[in-house]
Amino acid sequence: MTDLRPRPARGSGRTILRLALADFGHDWKVSACLVLALAAVLVPLLVLFGLKSGIVSTMRDRLLADPRNLEITLVGSYRLQPDWFTALSALPETGFVMPRTRSLAATLDVMGESGRAVSAIELVPTGAGDPLLRDIAPPAGLGDILISRSVAQKLALAEGDGITGLLARSRDGVRDVLRLPLTIRAILPEAVFGRDGAFVTLELLALAEDFRDGEAVSFEAPPQDIAARDFASARLFARDLDAVAPLADRLRRDGIEIRTRANDIETVKAIDRALSFIFSVIAGIAVGGYLLSLASNLWANVERKRRELALMRLVGFSTAAVIAFPAIQALLVALLGAGLSSAVAWGVALSFNASLASNLAGGEFVCRLLPEDLAIAALATALLALLASSIGGYRAARIDPAESLRIL
Amino acid sequence: MLLELGQIACQRGDGESGLRLEIPALSVQAGEAVAITGPSGCGKSTLLDIIGLVLRPAEAGRFRFGGVDMAALWNRDDRSGLARMRARSIGYVLQTGGLLPFISVRDNIQLSRDLLGLPRDAKATDRLVEALGLTRLMDKRPGALSIGERQRVAIARALAHRPALVLADEPTASLDPVHAEAVMQLLLALIGELGLSVLVVSHDWQLMARFGLRRIDARLSTGPSGPITRFAAEGDGVE
Repeated sequence: MTDLRPRPARGSGRTILRLALADFGHDWKVSACLVLALAAVLVPLLVLFGLKSGIVSTMRDRLLADPRNLEITLVGSYRLQPDWFTALSALPETGFVMPRTRSLAATLDVMGESGRAVSAIELVPTGAGDPLLRDIAPPAGLGDILISRSVAQKLALAEGDGITGLLARSRDGVRDVLRLPLTIRAILPEAVFGRDGAFVTLELLALAEDFRDGEAVSFEAPPQDIAARDFASARLFARDLDAVAPLADRLRRDGIEIRTRANDIETVKAIDRALSFIFSVIAGIAVGGYLLSLASNLWANVERKRRELALMRLVGFSTAAVIAFPAIQALLVALLGAGLSSAVAWGVALSFNASLASNLAGGEFVCRLLPEDLAIAALATALLALLASSIGGYRAARIDPAESLRIL
Repeated sequence: MLLELGQIACQRGDGESGLRLEIPALSVQAGEAVAITGPSGCGKSTLLDIIGLVLRPAEAGRFRFGGVDMAALWNRDDRSGLARMRARSIGYVLQTGGLLPFISVRDNIQLSRDLLGLPRDAKATDRLVEALGLTRLMDKRPGALSIGERQRVAIARALAHRPALVLADEPTASLDPVHAEAVMQLLLALIGELGLSVLVVSHDWQLMARFGLRRIDARLSTGPSGPITRFAAEGDGVE
C-alpha cells in the first residue's frame, strides 16, 4: 500500500513557476497589454531622468572643465605657517595647495636670446598636481620656466629655448641685478593663463622674494628654508565642486578673506535640486498610478482564474505557491516592461543627442542614461510590481479549494 | 482501514433552508469502491468536501485517513499539512472542469505528479492515456476538447499520481447516458486495475448498482431545528 503520511510537495516551486509562465503565455494578449502599459509609463520617466542627468552633468562638466571654478583665491597678505599648510593639504576637500610669496615680490623681468624683454611678468608657484596645468609637466627645478603664450609671442620664443630672468634691487643707491639662466619647458595656452606670466617652482619665487629683501642669495645658492618659512598667501584648489563651499567656510573661520566662483556652482546645484524635485514628483505620480493599475490588473487576473486557482489548491498546491502565482507574473511584467522601456528610452536618448549634437562639445549629452540607471529602474520596477501583486496574492490565498468542486 | 469517520457533524446554513449533516459511522477499506447516493441538495457534496479535506467538520469524533488523524490536522488548522495530504493521497474527479486551461492535456495529466516531484515517467501514465483514448490529444489545450474528452482527461489527471483514494463527484453528470456509462466503466476499471479506493457521489443508484458498488445512502429526516441528513451504509442499522 502507498505511504500516506503527509510529506512536502517537492515539485511545488518548479511547477508553480511553469504554471504561472504558461498562463502568462496563454493569456498573451492581456500580458502584452500589461507590459505595454508599464513601458508607456516607464519610457517617459527614463527619458525625463536621462534629460535631467544629462543637463545637470553637462553643466557640471562645463564647470569642471574650467579648473578655475575649483579655485579659492586668498585676498590680502597673511603669515601662513608650515603647520597651516600641512593641515590644509591633509583635508579631504583640498585638491591642491601651494604657498605663495607676497604679490609685490612675485614678478620677474624676462629677456629672450634676441635681447627683447618683457618686464614684470607675474610669477605663479606651481608643482605636481596643479589643476591649471592639467597634462603639462610642472617645472622640475630652479632653472625651469613655463611661460604664457603672450610672453612667448612678444619674445618670439619656443619650447626648449633659453630665457634670462632678471631681478633687480637697489642697495645704498647701487643697482644690483641678478641674472637667472632659465629654460622654457612649455608654452601655456591662453586658457591656462591669459596674462603675461610664468609658472615656476616655489624655490624660484622664494629666491626672488629674498633677493628683493636684500638677502645674500643667488641662482647657485637659493634659500634652503622653504619647508620651514612662513608665506604671505597660497594658491588653493578644492578637490571637486562640492568641496569648494566647505573649504571656503573653513578659511573664513580662520579669518582669511577669500573669493570663489560659488555663485556658478550654486546655480548648477540649485538647478539639479529643482530638476530632481520636479522629476521625483512626476515619477511619484506616474509610478503610483501605474502601481494601482498593475495591482488591479493582477487582482482581476486572480478573479478571472478563481476556478483554476481553487483547483490548484484542491490538488494540494500550498498557500505560498498560490500567492506566488500572481507574483511570478508581476515579475515577468516588470522584467519585460523594464527591458522594453530601456531599449526604447535608450533609442530616444541617442536620437536626442544626435539631433542636438551641434550644441554639445565632445563627451557631452543632452540625455544621459547609464546602464546602472537602467538596472536600478528595472530593480525598482520589479520590487514595486511584487508589491502590486500582493493584493492579488492575498485574494488568491483566500480562495477556498472547495470552490473548484462546484460549478461557479 | 483506509478511511474511518465516526460521530461527524456539520451544519450548512440556518433555519428553514439550513441542513444538518450527520455521519454516525462510515468506513472505506483499501481497494473498495463505494457509492454515495441520495437526492439533489441532500448534502452529498458537503460530505465529499469533508472527506476531500476542504471543509472542516464542526464536530469530528473520529476522522482517520490512511492511519493519519485528520481531525487533529483540522484542530491545529494545519492547512499545509491538509494540502500535502490532498496532493499525495486524494485524486479528485469533478462534475466538469478540473483542468487548467492554460497548459496542455499532457501537463494537466502530469500536474499532481509534478507537484509531488514524481518523475515524468511515461510508463506511469501511458496505460491511463491509452485506456482513456487520449493519445492523440496530448498536445492540445483543454479548450480544444469536447466535454467528454475533457472528462476523460480529468480522470487521467486524478489517477496519474496513484492516490490512495479517488473522490468522484457526479463524474458523468455532464455526459449523455451512453457516454456516461462508458466513462464510469472506464473510471472504475482503471481504479480497480491500480488497486485504489473510490468514493463516487451520484444521484443515479441504478447506474452504480450495475457496477456493484457498495452503497452509502442519504437518509433524510426533520429534527427540531430543521432537516437532517444522515449518511450510513445499507444494513448498518443506524437510524
